[in-house]
Amino acid sequence: MAQLKIAGLHKHFRGVHAVRGVDLDIPDGEFTVLVGPSGCGKTTLLRTIAGLEEADDGTIEIGGEVMNDVRPADRDVAMVFQNYALYPHMKVYKNIAFGLMARKLSQSEIDARVKRAAAMLGIADLLERLPRQLSGGQRQRVAIGRAIVRNPQLFLFDEPLSNLDAQLRDEMRSEIKRLHQEIGATMIYVTHDQIEAMTLADRIVLMRDGQIEQQGTPLDLFERPATRFVAGFLGSPKMNFILATAVESGGALGLQLGDGRGLALPEGSRQRYAGMVGRKVVLGVRPEHMGRARDGLQANGHVRLATVVELIQPTGSRTYITFPLGGTSVMAEVQPHDVQKPGDPIDIDLDLNRAVLIDPDTNRVI
Amino acid sequence: MPSGKRARRRRQGALSFDNLVRVVYLGAFLIFLLAPLYWAVITAIKPVDDYMTIPPVWFPEHPTLVHFTAAMFTYRGLVGLINSAVVSVAATALSVLLGTLMGYSFARFNTGGQHLSFWVLSQRFLPPVAVVLPVFLLYRNLGLNDTRLGLILIYTVTSLPLSAWMMFAYFRQMPAELEEAALVDGYGRWGALWKVALPLALPGIIAAAVFAFIFCWTEFFFALILTSRSAYTLPTIFRGFLGFQASSYGEASALAIVSLVPSIILGMLVQRHLVRGLTLGAVRG
Amino acid sequence: MAGAGASAISGRAAVMARNATMNGAGVARRRVRARTWSAWSDRHFKWLLVAPAVILILALTVYPLVYSVWVAFVNFDFQIPGHDFVGLQNFEHVVEDPVARWSLLTTAFLSVSSVVIEFLLGLGLAMAMTKIFTGRGVIMLILIVPLFVSPVVVGQIWSLLLQKPYGPFDYLVGQLFGPTDVSWLTGNPWKYVSLIVGDVWQWTPFMFVILLAGLTSVSPELYEAAELDGVSRWQIFWNITLPQIAPLILIAITFRLLDAVKLFDIIFIMTGGGPGTSTYTTSFYLYQTGFQHFHLGQATAGSWIFLILTAVLIMFLVRRMLRPERA
Repeated sequence: MAQLKIAGLHKHFRGVHAVRGVDLDIPDGEFTVLVGPSGCGKTTLLRTIAGLEEADDGTIEIGGEVMNDVRPADRDVAMVFQNYALYPHMKVYKNIAFGLMARKLSQSEIDARVKRAAAMLGIADLLERLPRQLSGGQRQRVAIGRAIVRNPQLFLFDEPLSNLDAQLRDEMRSEIKRLHQEIGATMIYVTHDQIEAMTLADRIVLMRDGQIEQQGTPLDLFERPATRFVAGFLGSPKMNFILATAVESGGALGLQLGDGRGLALPEGSRQRYAGMVGRKVVLGVRPEHMGRARDGLQANGHVRLATVVELIQPTGSRTYITFPLGGTSVMAEVQPHDVQKPGDPIDIDLDLNRAVLIDPDTNRVI
Repeated sequence: MPSGKRARRRRQGALSFDNLVRVVYLGAFLIFLLAPLYWAVITAIKPVDDYMTIPPVWFPEHPTLVHFTAAMFTYRGLVGLINSAVVSVAATALSVLLGTLMGYSFARFNTGGQHLSFWVLSQRFLPPVAVVLPVFLLYRNLGLNDTRLGLILIYTVTSLPLSAWMMFAYFRQMPAELEEAALVDGYGRWGALWKVALPLALPGIIAAAVFAFIFCWTEFFFALILTSRSAYTLPTIFRGFLGFQASSYGEASALAIVSLVPSIILGMLVQRHLVRGLTLGAVRG
Repeated sequence: MAGAGASAISGRAAVMARNATMNGAGVARRRVRARTWSAWSDRHFKWLLVAPAVILILALTVYPLVYSVWVAFVNFDFQIPGHDFVGLQNFEHVVEDPVARWSLLTTAFLSVSSVVIEFLLGLGLAMAMTKIFTGRGVIMLILIVPLFVSPVVVGQIWSLLLQKPYGPFDYLVGQLFGPTDVSWLTGNPWKYVSLIVGDVWQWTPFMFVILLAGLTSVSPELYEAAELDGVSRWQIFWNITLPQIAPLILIAITFRLLDAVKLFDIIFIMTGGGPGTSTYTTSFYLYQTGFQHFHLGQATAGSWIFLILTAVLIMFLVRRMLRPERA
C-alpha cells in the first residue's frame, strides 16, 4: 500500500491536451474515484499513473518514489481493464499467475497466492477454464483476481463495470466495495457513472476538460458543490437550473423568476447572497428537495408554488413530475399517489434551504 | 443486383437470364483455366511416341511416369527441388521473423512515421533488374554467387515488404489492451511481445509465412542470375528446356506439375487470407 | 455466487493483508535502475524491432543501388577492360538503342493491355461469384490456382498449348476455322496475344479476388434502397457499385500494373524475346544487355532510367492508393 502524489501533471494525447495541470494527493488506503464525462481526461490520467502513457510534464510519486521514468512493470501497480484484458490463450489459473511468474516467485508461492485470490473471489472452480468459456461477471472477477494476487502498492480500475449488465453491475459494485474494506489498499477507480462514484468512493475527484473541477467526499460534492458543473453532474435525476434575478424587498432577499413568480430566500441567507442583489443568478434545486405541498404554513425557506403537472414518470417507489417554472420545465419528486394525470393542478413545496445559487458569469456556486 | 418490375420475372428459378449468363461465363473461364493444366498433366504422362501426332492425343492409352523420373534425375529436378525447398523455408522464416517484428513496431508505435513504412512498402515494387546487377557483383566479391545463402538473403529482402505489411495490418486490428495488461503485470516490452502478442498473432504469421514461401518457391529472375551449377532452384531448370524439340516435353510438363503441387496446396490453405496477402494488408478479405 | 465469495473474504483477506505488509517491503525495492539492459531495450524497443529488417534492406537494396550509380557512369564491360569514367556514355547508348526504345513500348503495351483485360474479366468473375450457389466453394478454389503458379511454369504450360504444329490449340483452330500456318508464338500479332493470354491466365484471378472482396463488402442496404427507388440495373452498377468499390479498384490496378511492367519470366520462356528482339520487354532487354552481351555499364544505366520511370509510376499510384487508408 502506498500513497499517490501527483503534481502539475500535463499530458497531450492524440493532439489533445488531455490532462492540464492536475494535482492530486491521495493517502495510503484511500479509495479514490476519478469521475467525469467522456473526454475529461480521467482515463488518460489513470494510464499515466500506470505508466502506459508518459507524462509530458509534472511528477508522479507512488509510495514516495518518483515514478515518471519507471516502466509499468516496475511500478508495482495492478490494473483492472474495462474489457478485462484476459489473455485468451491462457487458462484462468495462468491468467492470474502471469504477473507473479514475471517476478520469479517460487511455484509453490505462486500456487498459494492464486488459490487464495480465487477463493476470495469465488472463482476457485474456474481455474482450469479458458476466458472464452466464462461469463462477463466471471471474467471480471478473474481480472480482479489477477490484480489482487500481486499485492501491489496501487490498484487501478479503468471503468471495470461498464461492460456488465445493470444487475451484475450492482453486485460487482458491492464486491469491490467489500474488497476495499477487507484489503484496505490504495485504489484509484475511473468511471463515468456518478452512481458508482458516489457509492464506492472515499474521495471523489470530478474531472472536466483535463482539470479537477472539485474533489472531496461524496457527500461533500453532493451537498456543497463548488460549481454548476459539479451540481449538475452528481445526483439522479439531475438538479434543476432556473434563471432568476436576485431582488430585495422589504429587507428580505428573494428571487424574481422569468415567469413573474417571486421566491423568498430563507432567513439567514442574507450575508451570503447580499452581494448578488440586482444581478442575474441561477437557482439550482434538486428534484428530491421538492414535493407535494402539505397543508399548513410553509417552514422557513420553503416556498409554495401553485402549478400544473406536465409530465408524469413513475418509477415504482417514487414518481417524477415536471412542471413549468421560471420559463423552463422543472422536475420534482413526489409520492406515487400525489398525482393523477397530466394537466392536473398541484401545489409544490420547494425547499430553498437545500438549494444553491450560482453566479452565471463564473458558474461557481455562491 | 435487382431492378424494377422486369426483375421479378428474371429472378425466378434457376433458369433465369442472370443465372444463365453466370453459368456460361464461369464455365467458359473455368475451361480456360483448367485446359492448360489438363494438357500439362497429360503431356507429363504421355509416352514419347504420343507427342508428335496430329490430331493430338487427348488421353494416352499407356500413361507412364518415366518423365517424372527423368525430370528429377536426368534434368536434376530433384536437386532443384531440394534447393528450392531449403531456400524457401529459410528465407520465409527469416523474412517472417523480421517482418513480424517490424510490423509490430509500425502498428504499436508508428515507428518512423509514414516515411519508413512507405519506404518499406515501395521495395515491393522495385524492379528486380535494377538491383540484380550490383547484387551479382557484390555476391561475386563475397563469394555468395551460386550459393543457397546468397539466394536466401536476397529472397528475405524481397519478401520483407510482404511480411512486414501483412503483419502491420494484422497487428493494427489487434487491440493493444492485452499487451498493456502484460506490461502492468510485470513484463517489459519484449516479454509482452513474446508471451502475449506473438502467440495471439499466430494465424496472421502463418498466413504471411505461406505467402512468403510461395513467393520464394516461384521466383525465377534472381535465381536465374545468382545461381548456376550448385544452388539452382526448381524454376531455373525450365531454362534448360528452351530450344529443345518434342523429346523433352514430358520432362518439362512433369517438372511443371511437381512445381505446381506444393504451392497450390499451400495456396488453398490460406484461401481465407488471400486478399490480405495479395494486397499486403491494404484490404481485409 | 457473489455471496459465497464475499463471505469468504474476511478471514482470507486478513491473512493476505498480513502477508502483504511482509512481502510489500521486499518486493518493492528492486525497481528503477536495477536492470539497465532491459530498461534500455525497452526505451529503444521500437527501433530495435525494425533495425534488423532495415539493415538487411539497406545492405541488399540500397547499397547495391548506390554502387550501381557508380557502375552506370564508368566503363563496365567484360569485353572492354578497365573502369574508366565515361560520363553519360552508357546512358546515351541505351537511349539511342532502338531495341531499348522498342522494349519500352512493348512493355507499356503488354502491361496495360494485360491489366485492362484482367480487370474486365476479373470484374465479370467477381460479379458472377457474389451470389452463393452450390459448388461455389469448389469453383473458388479452382479460380485461385493460377495465383500460386510460378510464372515460368505458366509460360511453359502455355508454350506447350500453343505449340505448332502439334499443340492442341493449333489443332482446334484448324478444326474450327480451317488449317492455317500461323505460328502462335512467333507470328505477328499473335506473339503478343499469346503473351497477353499467358499473363491474363495467371493474373485475372488476382483482380477477381480483390474485386470480389469489394463487391461483398458493399452494404446490401444500399441496393435495397435503390430497388425501392426503382432504379435500373445499369444505373445501380454505375452509380452505386462502382463508386463503392473504387478504392479497391485502385489498389488492384496499382499492384497489378506495377508488377506487370517488370514482365520477364513469361517472355523468357515463351518467346525468348523473339523472334529477333520483337517481344523484348525492358527487363528482358536489360537482362540481355547485361548478362548475355555483358555490357554491364550500359545495362546499369538502362536500369536506372527504368527505375526512375517506375518510381514516378509508384509515387503517383501508391500515394494515391495509400491516401484513403491513412485518412
